[in-house]
Amino acid sequence: MRIRQLRPVFATLASTVAAAVLLTACGSSDSTAPADSAAPAGAAQYASLAASPACAQLRGQHPELAGKKMTNAINPHTPGYESISVSDPNRYEGFDIDLGEAIGACLGFTVSYLPVSFETLLPTLRSGQANFIISDIYATRERAASADFITYSKVFDGVLVAKGNPKKLTGIDDSLCGTTTALNKGFVEVPLVAAQSAKCTAEGKPAAQASLFDNNADCVQAILAGRADSYINDVNTVTRFVKDQPDQLDRATAVTLPYSIGIAVPKGDTAIRAAFTGALTEVQRSGLQATLSKKWQLDESAIESPSLVTAS
Amino acid sequence: MGSFLHYLSMPYLLQGIMVTLQASALGFFGGFLAGTLLAGMALSRNRMIAGAARTYSVIFRGTPLVLQLVFVFTALPHAGIVLSPILAAGVALAANEATFFAEILRSSVRGVDRGQTDAARALGLRPRRVLAHIVGPQAGRAAIPAIGGEAVSTLKNSALASIIAVPELTLRSNQLASATFDYFSIFFASGVMYLLLTGAIAGVQLMVERAVDLDRLKHGGAAGPVDAGPDPSEVPGVPPPPAPIRPTRVALTVTGACKAFGEQQVLRGVDLELHEGEVVALLGPSGSGKSTLLRLINHLETLDAGTVSFDGLRVGYSDSGGPLAERVTAQQRVDAGVGMVFQHFNLFAHLTARENVAASPRWVQGVPKEQALREADRLLGRVGLAARAHALPRHLSGGQRQRVGIARALAGRPRVLLLDEPTSALDPELVQEVLEVIRSLAVDEGLTMLIATHQLRFAREVADRVVFMADGVILEHGPAAQVLDNPQNPVAARFLRAVHTMEV
Repeated sequence: MRIRQLRPVFATLASTVAAAVLLTACGSSDSTAPADSAAPAGAAQYASLAASPACAQLRGQHPELAGKKMTNAINPHTPGYESISVSDPNRYEGFDIDLGEAIGACLGFTVSYLPVSFETLLPTLRSGQANFIISDIYATRERAASADFITYSKVFDGVLVAKGNPKKLTGIDDSLCGTTTALNKGFVEVPLVAAQSAKCTAEGKPAAQASLFDNNADCVQAILAGRADSYINDVNTVTRFVKDQPDQLDRATAVTLPYSIGIAVPKGDTAIRAAFTGALTEVQRSGLQATLSKKWQLDESAIESPSLVTAS
Repeated sequence: MGSFLHYLSMPYLLQGIMVTLQASALGFFGGFLAGTLLAGMALSRNRMIAGAARTYSVIFRGTPLVLQLVFVFTALPHAGIVLSPILAAGVALAANEATFFAEILRSSVRGVDRGQTDAARALGLRPRRVLAHIVGPQAGRAAIPAIGGEAVSTLKNSALASIIAVPELTLRSNQLASATFDYFSIFFASGVMYLLLTGAIAGVQLMVERAVDLDRLKHGGAAGPVDAGPDPSEVPGVPPPPAPIRPTRVALTVTGACKAFGEQQVLRGVDLELHEGEVVALLGPSGSGKSTLLRLINHLETLDAGTVSFDGLRVGYSDSGGPLAERVTAQQRVDAGVGMVFQHFNLFAHLTARENVAASPRWVQGVPKEQALREADRLLGRVGLAARAHALPRHLSGGQRQRVGIARALAGRPRVLLLDEPTSALDPELVQEVLEVIRSLAVDEGLTMLIATHQLRFAREVADRVVFMADGVILEHGPAAQVLDNPQNPVAARFLRAVHTMEV
């Protein structure tokens, strides 16, 4: 093989490698870029919160957090709670994003974001790649085996169906027998539908099928494509989908689940747990959480004073 | 349509392409490096090393890439190895791709014809040089399409990195779809982007294939004047061997050579002696062990028992009789001055005639390239192929190829030349041109030669002695005329009669 003739090829390859390496060198900070650009909104917006005596005291008690950059693991597929901003896709927005920024402002840290699939949220926290999770995640006992949760809202689920509710669904009950429900992988509704399915078959009825998807958008597409009859998730999320496509979608009903939505922090890290609980208390006391709920049209949210959900 | 075009040109997604390219490049080039190492390990004779490579392949080829990505991203940090999302994706992609690259490279190396390595070894090339100049270029060419395929699949696989927070094209498309409900426009746009990227890779692959295309590189090969055959009178002779010759010195001694392939006993104790300047014809039916004997002499095959000695030098074995590394054996072939001409020519397929001939000077003797090629041209002139110096082997006739094969062997300045049925693979009308060249070497140069052949007339004209072999033993040997005209052994007599009938 004659090297000379190959020179242009080598040059192309070499420059590709060089470019890749260079880009990678900058890439590590680049990869969290969406996060960083979202941060500045926080400081100014929550200046009065940060200036409160409670937050000042918390910063005094937790100097280890001040000036730090903390990573929030999110599954940004739930508009209203967390999604990219349509006007500026390099930013994340939603109630959970604001809540995290507010807590950061109170405790003196800035927030960066790590967007992962829903079922990877807890492993990401456990691996130390993220410091906390605020991503519309329900604080269940099972999940508490992987992280400690500080709750901030009660859970209400809605059932999203095709326009007119053709299967006459009434919730997680016998009306699900013989239908297919689109669900997000790793969501708490999965075992609930499975339990209902067992009930259906015990009663001699056809099973309640579940189709598992990676994100809300895929679940909604399943209904639109006729592959699924329903989709069960947070009621505000469901309402938003109906608002976006009122000609094709309907909300069948609301279901009360015995859960709360929580902030996940590393298991057993009592310092961070205490700091977040304190900051959350102040966010709620100041009325900021109610303001944010309104801002993001989470009309059916029920603020819940912080409580811990842990494994023990 | 409007929103599709909007997404197609959206900076957010275009930035995603850059991240996709970074992750893919890390996976591709990292995988290639690791795969090369893995292929080397898999081809190793050391069972521990080969086993380690196999184990790695079983694990990383046998588990889903999704698991590997999550493992690198979320499990390795527990062991203290924290990689950024894109590096984690690069590592997982590379670890996965390595197994496929290893298979591609391994099968490409194995796909190189055994005759190519035989010829290179016979010239005295060391293993590293055989790899660099003969096997590598041929295997590399063969591997290009498959490597291009791997580049495409690495790029597509990089989409899976979306689950570990690498902000590449698919992650961005997913997030955008979640935020806008513009599901189809977005995924159609990102699909088109992937198509453009994979199309570009296919383009690069074609460019590389074109750049290394032999017919393009080695121009002047496809057509050329038909040569008139060898003209020994007008060309300079073989360079004289370095050592002075004593006429009756023994050049080669074979004693008690035995060789079996599995159950099949091919040689059963062969004794043979060649004196300097002597031409010995090795006759015998197919399967009598002629080729094996020649391959044992220059240690292309190992002896089961017996010895081969070039004036005291035992190629492939130390003084105490232990086997030597191929690297050392290569030098011994050079020291012994043993050259070989093969039945199927075994010309290096990726090199022109003159490059074939220059192989030994360049890669064994370290002669500068230009000088080696000038010398090659002279030798090609000697075998009547000056006009075809720039032709690739595949553009030469069989007779021309064998003449190049002879010139290539001569370029190594052999003292003993082994010719393994040099005309058996040739069409009848091409036999003479090759025999002419060999005859001139014997008559004009006085080169010591051992020729396995079926050409009785040629043996009679050129050979000093004839050795008749059958079933792994020498049945008869003596002066050419005596063995050919008056064979004592009935098997030899019957064989010679049969061959003679065919020749007449």
